[in-house]
Amino acid sequence: MSERRLATLKGFYQNYVKPSYEMAHKAREEGKLVAWVASTFPVEILHAMDIIPVWPENYASLCATRKVSVPLCESAERKGFSKDLCSYARCVLGSLFDGENLPEGGIPKPDILVASTCACDTHMKWFQVASRIFKKPLFLLDVPYNVDSASPEQLEDRYVQHYVCQLEDLVSRLEKYSKMKLVDSKLRKTLTLSNKTSELWLKVQEYRKSVPTPMGAREAFSAVYFMLCVPGTEQAVGFYEELCAELEQRVKQGVGIIEDEKYRLVWDNLPLWFDLQFFQYLETLKAVVVAETFSHVWAGGLNPSKPYESLARKHLSNMANCTIERRIELIAALVKDFRANGVILPTNWGCRMMTIGETMVKEKIQEMTDVSSLILDVDSTDWRNYDEFKVKTKLETYLRTLNSLFKIGETRRSAL
Amino acid sequence: MESLKLIRTLISANNKFISEWKRLKRPVLGYTCSYTPEEIISAGEILPIRILGSLEPPKLADVHVSTNVCSFAKSCFNNALKGEYSSLDGYVFSHSCDNQKKIYDLWRRYTTIPKAYFINTPHSTNENSRRFFRDELEKFREWLMKSFKVEISEENLRSTIRTFNENRRLLRQVYDLRKGNPPLVLGSEALEIVLSSMMTPKEEHNKLLQVLLEEIDTREDVPKEGVRLLVSGSIMDNSELLRLIESVGGSVVADDLCTGSRYFWDLVNEEEEPMTAITERYLHKIPSSFMYSSEERFRHTREMAKLFDVEGVLIFSLKFCDVHSFDAPLLAEELREEDGLPVLCLEWDHSLSGTAQLRTRIEAFIEMLEEQI
Repeated sequence: MSERRLATLKGFYQNYVKPSYEMAHKAREEGKLVAWVASTFPVEILHAMDIIPVWPENYASLCATRKVSVPLCESAERKGFSKDLCSYARCVLGSLFDGENLPEGGIPKPDILVASTCACDTHMKWFQVASRIFKKPLFLLDVPYNVDSASPEQLEDRYVQHYVCQLEDLVSRLEKYSKMKLVDSKLRKTLTLSNKTSELWLKVQEYRKSVPTPMGAREAFSAVYFMLCVPGTEQAVGFYEELCAELEQRVKQGVGIIEDEKYRLVWDNLPLWFDLQFFQYLETLKAVVVAETFSHVWAGGLNPSKPYESLARKHLSNMANCTIERRIELIAALVKDFRANGVILPTNWGCRMMTIGETMVKEKIQEMTDVSSLILDVDSTDWRNYDEFKVKTKLETYLRTLNSLFKIGETRRSAL
Repeated sequence: MESLKLIRTLISANNKFISEWKRLKRPVLGYTCSYTPEEIISAGEILPIRILGSLEPPKLADVHVSTNVCSFAKSCFNNALKGEYSSLDGYVFSHSCDNQKKIYDLWRRYTTIPKAYFINTPHSTNENSRRFFRDELEKFREWLMKSFKVEISEENLRSTIRTFNENRRLLRQVYDLRKGNPPLVLGSEALEIVLSSMMTPKEEHNKLLQVLLEEIDTREDVPKEGVRLLVSGSIMDNSELLRLIESVGGSVVADDLCTGSRYFWDLVNEEEEPMTAITERYLHKIPSSFMYSSEERFRHTREMAKLFDVEGVLIFSLKFCDVHSFDAPLLAEELREEDGLPVLCLEWDHSLSGTAQLRTRIEAFIEMLEEQI
């Protein structure tokens, strides 16, 4: 089965992620400005200003893949941070308190921190703690909740205006602090590249709709790195072009990422970073993840001639800033478009945003698509409560029920 | 004291004032956050009442909400599912924390209360936030007028503000009774008094507070002296936990709670245009933990500790309350290092399961303080 893995993604960590940490450490030594950034912050602004972004969320996930996240979480807990807090936050804060033998020489220290309240309270609170520890300023975008789940075009003007004004303020404060200028032409170029990144990333998802699918979750959770962390760069565009070429080839040849595709699954939320083998295990059950909600929330069309406004519209309407209904709509659409016959809803112990409403999601997905979902009580980074046997038994039982409800062969024939 | 006995009966969505209000066919609106500008609601002859939880296990809510969710938010939802809030004509949520904003979706889907509204409360206090919040409150006012077919005039707003401010001044007087040694009001009683204010028309509550302040002068069962403590946290919607502290020798003389001092500490400026004044008051009030940054709240906590001459601080983090749990170690550090105050950080579940363990830890803390003093 190994020859089925995608060549573009071979050595992904060594080729792309590791060098980004080395670069950030080096940049800091050279006196360049390093910023900690949280997802849903418009990182294009930093790219355009040549501020080096460092993603604590990414660092937590890499600590989990290296199986060092739990001792780091414990280190934060010893400092009084509750075990029930986001494991990403505990892991990264722990790494600041207990800095021995950390992956990639530890997370690069920030000169500034930038975050938005768009995705969750945790970003703001976690970064506030870090800002106190480092005695460096936190620049915060206070984003109103999109309680009507309005699309980018439907958003009320005052929401957009509020975001735009804050972004303008934030940029001028950043300029003052960094003594660097945000040049319009550079921002436009970054946004153009960001659009290109989005288009290509969505094209990747299009290929995954094929039966059999040429790419699974294991690959997607690596490849999304460019869309999420470095969207406005040539490197991101180049990588996705290469990936698209390979996927196109696979689709033409009808070669799937697994040999015998029986269950096509939608995966909500984050993976078990500490056990990415989990997706390989799924493959042994002839199950493949064809779509993740996580792969469908970061792309978005930006208008280079209206940079702030389009960034505002994109982020205000991000699924993370909308009601549970928006998430349900997305999952239902993925089930239909990707011809999925199952949905996995892993919770994340320290994440209220994704945990609240899981049963409502399950209930409504069933109503809308006639596909049942499986809720798995897990955590992406902290494995202490992970009962592998229980989770796998649950999953196998679930897949068997799918088998009795759906005949994927028929679906495939009728679809082709 | 008769007034205290009456006050205790008011902490319910079915108290005598609410029943009377309903009998007169006037609307009642529930709210979930102390950032809800009650003055605007009240100025439209609508009774704002705080949605509270209860101590029973949230069996109905458990069907829809998993374990790792704020037990207070869950308990409130459970009460709604049980029909405790069937007398409400509507409810208002605020953009406070993740728990609240997500559970709002569940309220809308699973409860039968007719009207729902969400106020997008900012999380920062700069000029942009002020402008946005002012707009947001104007929208809320329009919604109230349209949904309940009421008039909310500037004149009504002005008189409502005066009544509310009066309530706040009286509550401060109640708090002042705890400055001396022994305090003349127990911490558990003070909490009940504040909670009852959220469940009663303010004119009525003002009358009650005046009676109470008179009765206090001749109080026979004056509380015993104990170790003077400040309690910090998010929500405390019943007095059981404070009673537990009192039962092991603690005297809760001050608090930094959403349902305590943070509810009434700040006044609305009566000279300014009312909607502007209300915006300012709620934006700049003693902040909750979801506001950026926490420094202002820490400052208030430390000030309260000084003002009420406390000897130790108990920081209670409600299970799965992220915003407070992130703050707890920072606040503890500040109190210890800057003010030299002993601090005990505790996690607690809203239904008060695991009370025995809490009691042991609090008892040990108080014993330690007694030895030091």
